[in-house]
Amino acid sequence: MSQYWMTVAILLPIIGGILVKVIPFPNQKIMKIYLECVMVVTSLLVFLLAWNRPEGTLEVVHFMQGLSISFRIDGMSMVFSVLIAVLWPLAMLYSFEYMEREQHQRVFFLFYSVTYGVTLGIAYASDMLSMYFFYELLTLVTVPLIMHSLSRQAIHATRKYLYYSLGGAAFALIGIVFLMVYGSQLDFVLGGVLDLAKAGEKKQVLLVVYLIACLGFGVKAAMFPMGSWLPDAGVAPTPVTALLHAVAVVKAGVFAIIRLTYYSFGTDFLRGTWVQAVVMALAMFSVVYGCTRAVMERHIKRRLAYSTISNLSYIIFSAMIMTPLGLVGALTHMVCHAVMKICSFLCAGAIMHQTGKTFIDDLNGYAKKMPVVFGCFLVSALGLMGVPGLAGFISKWNIAQAAVDSGRVQAYLGIGCLLISAFLTSIYMMSIVFRAYFPGKEFHYEELGEIRDPSWRMCVPLVLFAAGVAGLGLGSAPLVRFFTDVANGLY
Amino acid sequence: MAFVQNVPFFSIILSMFSGIVSSVLPEKQAKWLNTAVITLVGAMSAWLLSYLLEVGGSFTFMMGHFPAPWGNEIRAGALEALMALIFSIIMLLSLLGGRKKLKDEVEITKHNIYYILTDLLLSSLLALIYTNDLFTAYVFVEINTISACGLIMIRQNGRTIEAAVRYMIMSLLGSGLLLMGICMLYDLTGHLLMSNIKESVQQIMAEGSYRVPMLITIGLITVGLSIKSALFPFHAWLPDAYGYSTVSSAAMLSSLVSKGYIFLLIKIFYRVIGIDIIRNSNILNVLFVFGLCAMIFGSVSAIWENDIRRMISFSSVAQIGYIYMGFGLGTEAGMVASVFHILMHAATKSMLFISAIGLTDVSNGSRHFAELTGSGYRNKIAGIGFTVGSLSMVGIPCFAGFVSKILFAQAAVANNAPVKIFPTVIVLAISTILNAVYFLKTVIRIYVPEDPAFEKQQGYLFFQISRQKLYGLTIICFIALNLVLGMMSQPIVHIIEIGLQNFS
Amino acid sequence: MKAGILLLNMCFPVLAGLMMLQGKREYTGKKLARRSLAAMVIAACFLVWNLTGDPLSLHLCSLGKDLPVYFHVDAIGKLFASVVTLVWILAICFAGEYMKKEQDQKRFFGFFLIVYGVLMGLCYAGNLITFYLFYEMMTLTTVPLVLHTRTREAITAGMKYLLYSLSGAYLVLFSTYMLNRYTTSLDFTPGGTLDLAAAEGHTTLILVCACLMILGFGVKAGMFPMHGWLSTAHPVAPAPASAVLSGVIVKMGVLGAIRVVYEIIGPEVIRGTWVQTVWLTLSLITVFMGSMLAYREKILKKRLAYSTVSQISYILFGLALLQPQALTGSLLHVVFHACIKSCLFLCAGAVIFCTGKTRTDQLTGIGKEMPVTIWCYTIASLALTGIPPASGFISKWYLAEGALSSGTSVFAVLGPVVLLISALLTAGYLLPVSMKGFLPGKEFDYAHLIRKEANLAMLIPVSMLSLLALLLGIFCGPLVQYVEKIVEVML
Repeated sequence: MSQYWMTVAILLPIIGGILVKVIPFPNQKIMKIYLECVMVVTSLLVFLLAWNRPEGTLEVVHFMQGLSISFRIDGMSMVFSVLIAVLWPLAMLYSFEYMEREQHQRVFFLFYSVTYGVTLGIAYASDMLSMYFFYELLTLVTVPLIMHSLSRQAIHATRKYLYYSLGGAAFALIGIVFLMVYGSQLDFVLGGVLDLAKAGEKKQVLLVVYLIACLGFGVKAAMFPMGSWLPDAGVAPTPVTALLHAVAVVKAGVFAIIRLTYYSFGTDFLRGTWVQAVVMALAMFSVVYGCTRAVMERHIKRRLAYSTISNLSYIIFSAMIMTPLGLVGALTHMVCHAVMKICSFLCAGAIMHQTGKTFIDDLNGYAKKMPVVFGCFLVSALGLMGVPGLAGFISKWNIAQAAVDSGRVQAYLGIGCLLISAFLTSIYMMSIVFRAYFPGKEFHYEELGEIRDPSWRMCVPLVLFAAGVAGLGLGSAPLVRFFTDVANGLY
Repeated sequence: MAFVQNVPFFSIILSMFSGIVSSVLPEKQAKWLNTAVITLVGAMSAWLLSYLLEVGGSFTFMMGHFPAPWGNEIRAGALEALMALIFSIIMLLSLLGGRKKLKDEVEITKHNIYYILTDLLLSSLLALIYTNDLFTAYVFVEINTISACGLIMIRQNGRTIEAAVRYMIMSLLGSGLLLMGICMLYDLTGHLLMSNIKESVQQIMAEGSYRVPMLITIGLITVGLSIKSALFPFHAWLPDAYGYSTVSSAAMLSSLVSKGYIFLLIKIFYRVIGIDIIRNSNILNVLFVFGLCAMIFGSVSAIWENDIRRMISFSSVAQIGYIYMGFGLGTEAGMVASVFHILMHAATKSMLFISAIGLTDVSNGSRHFAELTGSGYRNKIAGIGFTVGSLSMVGIPCFAGFVSKILFAQAAVANNAPVKIFPTVIVLAISTILNAVYFLKTVIRIYVPEDPAFEKQQGYLFFQISRQKLYGLTIICFIALNLVLGMMSQPIVHIIEIGLQNFS
Repeated sequence: MKAGILLLNMCFPVLAGLMMLQGKREYTGKKLARRSLAAMVIAACFLVWNLTGDPLSLHLCSLGKDLPVYFHVDAIGKLFASVVTLVWILAICFAGEYMKKEQDQKRFFGFFLIVYGVLMGLCYAGNLITFYLFYEMMTLTTVPLVLHTRTREAITAGMKYLLYSLSGAYLVLFSTYMLNRYTTSLDFTPGGTLDLAAAEGHTTLILVCACLMILGFGVKAGMFPMHGWLSTAHPVAPAPASAVLSGVIVKMGVLGAIRVVYEIIGPEVIRGTWVQTVWLTLSLITVFMGSMLAYREKILKKRLAYSTVSQISYILFGLALLQPQALTGSLLHVVFHACIKSCLFLCAGAVIFCTGKTRTDQLTGIGKEMPVTIWCYTIASLALTGIPPASGFISKWYLAEGALSSGTSVFAVLGPVVLLISALLTAGYLLPVSMKGFLPGKEFDYAHLIRKEANLAMLIPVSMLSLLALLLGIFCGPLVQYVEKIVEVML
């Protein structure tokens, strides 16, 4: 396939989104059909590109010496792009019904669509600078989405998000500049691009720089202590929180960390150093911290946001093991968690949409009225807990295997943190499930009123995602084989 | 001697001449003459630049028939031509963008004076760029100061007069120190022509005599010019001056005037004292530290501001800090980054001022943030301009600010002294965050839609592009300039590098 | 064909249970009971088919790479499966009558059947992954049984049960992660599958894993200090559920311990190490403590629950001795205790159903009101205490013999002593009910005595179980031979 299709895949949702504002649609329905078509076509294009990978790098814009925006599809690109290509059309379908009662819909859909293109840009970026460009752009185009309701809380959350993200990227830029000076190129090559002769003399300096860059990207990846923007961003409409803050934006953060570690600095340079220990420790702490805060939180979306913080640090922990198995574990959880978390968030959104309730304490007994929604929520909860047969078990298994294989004692402690987190997860997820299914002897179901499952536009994505969680739990072997190939550099 | 080599001289003379002529012309003709002259100067500079790039090197042009060491000399190289070109473009755009406001804010009888002042400003800037002797430089520094003061004061209200007075005091203080330095230099070396002075200085330093006086001289000159270009901690006059004058003045002052002095300082470093001597002394380290402080302090003050124009002015303080930090790095790469930053800042800051005035216009002239809510929708073009300017300041790739940030960072990292690497990169990162805080906060605010009923009640006007075509066109040109600097910076950086090589 | 029957043995009850849960119309209790009983009988037929014939293996599918779901019907599996089925059929028969006074019968019977299917899976599990899979499923599917009555107390108990069980499961999972690396395979093989070459130098790690496994399974088996959930969860469930929880489900923890210690890690690895000492100590403490707590407890079902805590630790003690006779005693006690404890709980249930009395101080003269029930209770109590020739005596004899010849210095003597003291306490907490029941004393109001004997549907299971408790002791020959054959293979 020609390389130019990569640019098409990126530009199609961007232009398609901008056209939403420009074209005068006769009614809402046609606009929605148009949007869904744009999404589906882009996704199909992404699948085709992954299937029929174009060779080589495509340089689109040349800035200055050694700095350009270029695209290339390698193993990581395939994983990330296919992941978001699967999720975006379904999330868009869901958002149609969810946003029906909201204002400013056109602006919303415009930016929702544009974000798709920008995230694809991050996936396809062939070097650090291109990724940085789309990374910054991602922050900017998601701002109007968080700000959507224009309430005071929303604007405050947006500002926090903006400052944190831009700040993180600014520090990550330091890493990029050092790579420019001490690396042979900025391109992503598995094993790293550092010029070892030059870098050898300045190893300590470079390690500090790596730490700064890692923490910089870690802002988007919601690592402690930079992740506090994520729970506040829960004020955005659910399609935004679900897709962006459970999947696209935060996964872009871990994606960037993986690129930085495996493809820029290189694991051979970093393995065994104090930086590995420090970042791994931070990740382990975030894992437990996120879950603990989730247990204490009473607002549904904030609780799930803290859960995301914790799960993202699973991925970072696995990446910090710095072996091919570690990369496999990280990629597995990246995919599995994305599916599970988007399912949970969309369920939460459906609950909020149908009942208007946002706090856990108000959810008593609703499972009887909304069986589909709560059934899917149960599946995603069990998945997050790591029940065998569902996705979470597989990814935890892979991470644990990588940790055990590495032989580091810190990694063993990391597994312990993972399991403590699994235990806490069961507390905060099952307490919701219990309330909904078993509300108490004196509970009167009539109090709940006329509540029903939402329409097919919201239910179909939910069910599909729940099926995905189960499917990944039972049939992950080919996927894991593919990840192993990616980790060993076959793509 | 090719005809094109006359360009520097013509540029200066033409602007001065048009200034004199404008005093007798009616307002409309003065305006046309002004525009024409600036455009012509720009075109000539472009021609000169292309010639110099072809030929390489720089040439000196003797003024009059007095040979060195008594006469005047003009020297032009690629760098000077580039500066002249960019400055004239920006001056043109600033004037065009602020034309309507000029009509509103200044009495019609004073317009002539305005154009005279503008022409004088142009000529003095060009002179500062091209001159090769210190005395001429000083003369035109003074002319620059006077025209700048006039530009501030042209809009007569209490604030601007106070601002102009404050500006004048600080500026004259700077000029005074500069003069003392020049006098001492003349005393020590006996020359006024820059190349000659340099030889003398080399000799003096080699001999080891007059060490302390030399140091004091350098110090006086540097401090003098720093005061004039508003380096921390001498920046107090800046926010008032930029904040209250008419918008064209603010744009020109922030973009051009302070940069002229910085350019003169670079020239003195390279051509008068010799860059090696400067690097060996500690003066660069002092500038480095002050530059870093300015970056932080300027941005922090901007965050506290409630008035959009003062906020942009404080941003200028921070940006000037960047430039001095670049000097302080002490490498060639650092200097290149600083010069590029001069250009970038000139282009972006004027755009910000012009956009800001568009936004305040549709909010009943109020500059306070509370009233600016939703103004991005009322004046779409100004909103876009302000957004582009903000994104450039924050350093988003594709815009000019990113390129200068990368150049600074690269210069810092490639620098061999690790003690300078980490403060630089960390302060750059922190400065980005701070910039993001106040600029993007404003961008969000102008794009939060205001309740239409409230808008009607307040009597907000809506911007109609048909009535202000010139304004719209200006903003679009600015955006284009920013994008060119952002995406096609390679040739420009190359020119700067060549220029600096031939500078000394 | 055989494989099909094996699968049916597991799947049929699960499907039947699911169908029952989904049934829209509100079935009457009688219909439900009859249908459940029918389903059980069919399932039992499958079981019987499985029991005859050679050992059967079935590789069903893979959860992921290296995660096979593998069934293997061996002698121990058959033993456990038979016990489970026996108790289950009788419990369902009892439940048909008992649940008439409860609500949500559909849910109860549905999950009752599903749990049976899961337990079959657990018994037939051929490797650690499959075992863990069904273990988690067992926890999840028994929760609705525990909190069936939906009182506040029940829901809290359900949550407590869930969290304790999950924490135990996670301890097991942690060790599984580690052991995966140091064993040749995770299939259950008598003698263990430890890869001695790989394990070289990592003995501490493996011992820690073994300890964690034991503690993890010990949670389900109610070993100190993880016994806290038992006394809250078992009493609060409806009687038939309590019966199976105490009689059968806790045995799954025991099965887990047997599988892991004897068939994965291997008894030789932990013989004589601190792990064995810790295990022996904890089980003895539990034996004593359980009996003490039972003695002081006034609520009958809670008393029986503490009794379970104590009795299971008898079994664990026998396992920990790693000695053939002790192992024989443990396995025998598994069978005997299942029958006895189910009988006791069903009796208590019958008393609650007929008279509403829950506390032992209310039970004066109960023997006059419900003679048959209380006679069965008495026989079972005698068996549990260990009075010859009832079954309990046989198993305790083997345990004591095993302890004396086990070669462990302290425990050889301490063990039998504690067992003896505990036997006295057992008599002390079980027999007074019978005594007061039959011989209420002079103050009893004979005039107002009403015979409220339990229904036939309830009496049959109770009497059958008590008879078994007696007869298995008298005619223990075949059973003992069967168990001894198992033990030979294991040790």
